[in-house]
Amino acid sequence: MKTLNINGQFHQVDVPDDMPLLWVIRDVLGMTGTKFGCGIAQCGACTVHVDGEAVRSCLYPVGTLDGKRVVTIEAVGGTPNGAKIQKAWLDREVVQCGYCQSGQIMSATALLDRIAKPTDADIDDAMSGNICRCGTYVRIRDAIHAAAEV
Amino acid sequence: MRVPSLFVTFALLTFALPTTASRADTLSDRIADGEYLARAADCVACHTAPGGKPFAGGRAFALPFGVVYSPNITPDAETGIGRYSDDEWVDMLHKGVARDGKHLYPVMPYAEYTLMSREDALALKAYLMSREPVRATAPKNTLGFPFNQRWTMVFWNWFNNPNRRFVADQTKSAAYNRGDYLVNGPGHCGECHTPRTFMFGLKRSKAFAGEVQVGWRAYNLTSDKASGLGNWSDDQLFQYLSTGQAPGRGPASGPMAEAVEHSLSQLKADDVKAIVTYLRGVPALSDGPPAVSPEPAAASPDPLGARLFAQACAGCHLPSGSGRQSPWAALAGSHTAADPEGTNLVQVLTQGSELHTKDGLMFMHAFTGAYTDDELAAIANYTQERFGLKKGSISPAMIAKQRTANPDKPAKPSS
Repeated sequence: MKTLNINGQFHQVDVPDDMPLLWVIRDVLGMTGTKFGCGIAQCGACTVHVDGEAVRSCLYPVGTLDGKRVVTIEAVGGTPNGAKIQKAWLDREVVQCGYCQSGQIMSATALLDRIAKPTDADIDDAMSGNICRCGTYVRIRDAIHAAAEV
Repeated sequence: MRVPSLFVTFALLTFALPTTASRADTLSDRIADGEYLARAADCVACHTAPGGKPFAGGRAFALPFGVVYSPNITPDAETGIGRYSDDEWVDMLHKGVARDGKHLYPVMPYAEYTLMSREDALALKAYLMSREPVRATAPKNTLGFPFNQRWTMVFWNWFNNPNRRFVADQTKSAAYNRGDYLVNGPGHCGECHTPRTFMFGLKRSKAFAGEVQVGWRAYNLTSDKASGLGNWSDDQLFQYLSTGQAPGRGPASGPMAEAVEHSLSQLKADDVKAIVTYLRGVPALSDGPPAVSPEPAAASPDPLGARLFAQACAGCHLPSGSGRQSPWAALAGSHTAADPEGTNLVQVLTQGSELHTKDGLMFMHAFTGAYTDDELAAIANYTQERFGLKKGSISPAMIAKQRTANPDKPAKPSS
């Protein structure tokens, strides 16, 4: 049995150490806001925060969490920057099909937590690896700037 | 009833166990010793075909003279080592002569295994014989004349196989001697890391100065500060050998990743420390590409490389090269980013690399499926300029050469 701290709540799960965090979040705990995209950390759809850092949960073995705090898309709106990002996303109508957007929002929030007023280059760096096949990149950048202004 | 039966059990245990258990212990201890030695010698890496059964042989070794296949070393009597007597086995490991009198090719590192004691050699045999026999015959070697004449190895052995056991240097510490034995005996590190003579024997005067083997550069392991390990801390070396990465030194890839996975990561901490102690004492030689400082250089002027790195690489490696959520993804400070020949950088882009660790599979797939030679060269040059060299040195032709040498592989682990 492991105790995981997810979105401020403690969950007891009986899973092997090498099970990816994504699998635990979606299939064991039933939180399906975090998406499975490629399974090889190439697309960013499964991004969550571990101790505030954006990680790809599809390749994050749950055994290496070691008591670290996990935040998923279900709770990121409860953080100051998460709320700003989500509002900017709605204001700018960033989303098209939406599949990659939980990952995009998690990466963008982690960026604002680190850099309050990111430049275009900061955004490119932080958002690289979060792929959007609808091509919402321009609106994503715009929305991050807008959120940073709030 | 309860008390007498307990008494009987106790009596049986007292009288029966010491003899039977001690005999079993001896054999199982020997098998355990042999299993450990098999790891130290990394037998499984060469004696297993890709996707094949462990130790059943069949892995191809493409040499300049043709292809040699590793034999089956499971206990199968017909196709494996089942019929070896102890003496025949020891001769095979020490002299490079198989039980039918056939000479082994020195792809099998018997010129190093010759340092192993008879006791260790037989422990190794006991372990291999304790495994499940597998019936498997390796494909026939494709060596042309005169290399298909195994007896000519007699001459090779005169010059290249010392055929002597390890002798400890009494002026050195026990840890140094243990490290010496592991590195030069079972570990056969020099097979990749020591340059070769015109006869393809190990050039002892250039011990551990680095060499290109099977398309990958095995780096300089001497104490030289620029090209070797002289600037590595003991902790970095220990961590690199036991996990396949060290902070500011990058990850092990290609054949070294295999050596870490199957062998070095399985060794006892004291043995890895002994290896570090020994490597510290290897005289400095300044051959091979220099090591670099781990700080990223200023941004590269090549916009194509920068753009492609952001698209294809930064997702896992991060723009800073420090690696996202995995120290095995850290590029900054790696020898591979600093090598002006770019050997391993081209290999890892065209072939990928993987390493099973206690934290799961760390892997990079080949990028040849999605990117052209020009694009991969731009990525490689950007990587060098950011994390190693002042000026990138990779041409599209170098990518093209390795691309054709290694056909596209599917991505892992979803494949």
